[in-house]
Amino acid sequence: MSWCVLDEENFRRCCRLLLQQSEQLRDGWSWEAVQGSEEGYLKKTALRSVIVDSSPVWDHEGSASDSEPHTSCHSWPDQQGQEEKQAGLVLVDADSIKGGIEDEEDGEEDEDDGVCAVSEGSSQVLQYEYHILHSCSYSTPVLYFRAFTQDGRSLSLEEVWSSVHPNFRLRLQNSPLNTITLQEHPLLGQPFFMLHPCRTEEFMRPVLQAAQDQHRSVNYVLSWLSVVGPVVGLDVPLKYATQLHPAASLSSTESD
Amino acid sequence: MADDKDVLRDVWFGRIPTCFILNQDEVTEREAEPYYLLLPRVSYLTLVTDKVKKHFHKVVRTDDVEEMWLEYEGTPLKWHYPIGVLFDLHASNTVLPWSITVHFKNFPDRDLLHCPSNSVIEAHFMSSIKEADALKHKSQVVNDMQKKDHKQLWMGLQNDKFDQFWAMNRKLMEYPTEEGGFRYIPFRIYQTMSDRPFIQKLFRPVSPEGNMHTLGDLLKEMCPAALPNDGEQKRYQVVIHGIEPLLETPLQWLSEHLSHPDNFLHICVTPVPSD
Repeated sequence: MSWCVLDEENFRRCCRLLLQQSEQLRDGWSWEAVQGSEEGYLKKTALRSVIVDSSPVWDHEGSASDSEPHTSCHSWPDQQGQEEKQAGLVLVDADSIKGGIEDEEDGEEDEDDGVCAVSEGSSQVLQYEYHILHSCSYSTPVLYFRAFTQDGRSLSLEEVWSSVHPNFRLRLQNSPLNTITLQEHPLLGQPFFMLHPCRTEEFMRPVLQAAQDQHRSVNYVLSWLSVVGPVVGLDVPLKYATQLHPAASLSSTESD
Repeated sequence: MADDKDVLRDVWFGRIPTCFILNQDEVTEREAEPYYLLLPRVSYLTLVTDKVKKHFHKVVRTDDVEEMWLEYEGTPLKWHYPIGVLFDLHASNTVLPWSITVHFKNFPDRDLLHCPSNSVIEAHFMSSIKEADALKHKSQVVNDMQKKDHKQLWMGLQNDKFDQFWAMNRKLMEYPTEEGGFRYIPFRIYQTMSDRPFIQKLFRPVSPEGNMHTLGDLLKEMCPAALPNDGEQKRYQVVIHGIEPLLETPLQWLSEHLSHPDNFLHICVTPVPSD
């Protein structure tokens, strides 16, 4: 269904609308243009504070229902390769921990991103950089991101995996093509983590169908971002949807 | 056509004689001899350099050893690019053997992807094949294949088995006769003189009027600077698998016969040497 996909021109239009709202909300998105062309991508940097736990982290028998009070990390999909036991960052949103250690054994799910029980550790601030590009092969947006410690060290794939909420992790592991992998950024040529786009059409279809049925307009990029962003710690404030803004109709032929 | 099948074989069995030298800053227990190897153009560095790693591991202090990475004249070599592309892009006009420097320290993680195991290479390879089929067939052919078919493509590459690979790959090269070609051509154009790692956009093999697009048509649209102006001297060479195909060659034919095993046409645009 061709209305389910997002061509380059519509991608740019959706980005422009998102940018307008972002400016009003002070959400920090900017447009980076490829020199001398209309091509480009959305970019945002954000700081996340995490708890650093220097005890060995990687428990390859771990699973989503692991009852250990420590943060457990899955054996990630085979494609990540060899087992490694190493001390590293355990990424937990420090600002989402509510007074005390939560026991995962209770089966209580915390709605906030990445909350796991941790032993005491010091808090560290990480810098995340998110890019939204357009994939012409899949006609969808694609999310690229990278993260650094304050002393400029890049996070490893294992550390990034540990920052993904256990619920998302299980889902991602079962469909390897939705997984997070290290890829070359198509415009910058540097290593970035990427959330694979080939299943995007699947989850966007019901959203777009519902909007069409109800004669509502939808910003493809914004809706898509609200689904994939939280998986990698990117918050999309509700105000994007509730604030008044110019209509973003996909079938509109108005030019900017 | 018998001739065309020969092209497929020539592409598959292309080799580059290479000499691996240990970076002189690496601390060794004894002198490190260079290691010579014929590299397959269509494969990936990390898939074929286990012997190189073993050879140099013998002389380097083992507690010092991290992930191996390779470099040519100061440029870290991206293992996720086919070997032939790396050579054509960086070293095509130099004397053989290709001289590559081996490192075990200071992995440049702002430039290179890590490659902890062969399954990472497999995932990358299969991801390229799937992306190519998304362009050629809206993913229909690759999605109709079973897991074992996907595995056959990878094993064919890994074990250098032309027949095993093409038994499956030929399905990815088919198209409805009434269409005249694929939906879009999977291609990437690499230029050393650009900030961008490559150009990849949508391009149809057949024009709306029904004419077959050529290599020249593709370049005119995507990379016009690569083409000489009338009467001017040629400033750039357009290289695929180490040769310069005629610009009049139909793009559909190139896609079917000169693609890499990942189903992409990798095109290198480099300056003509000034000598």
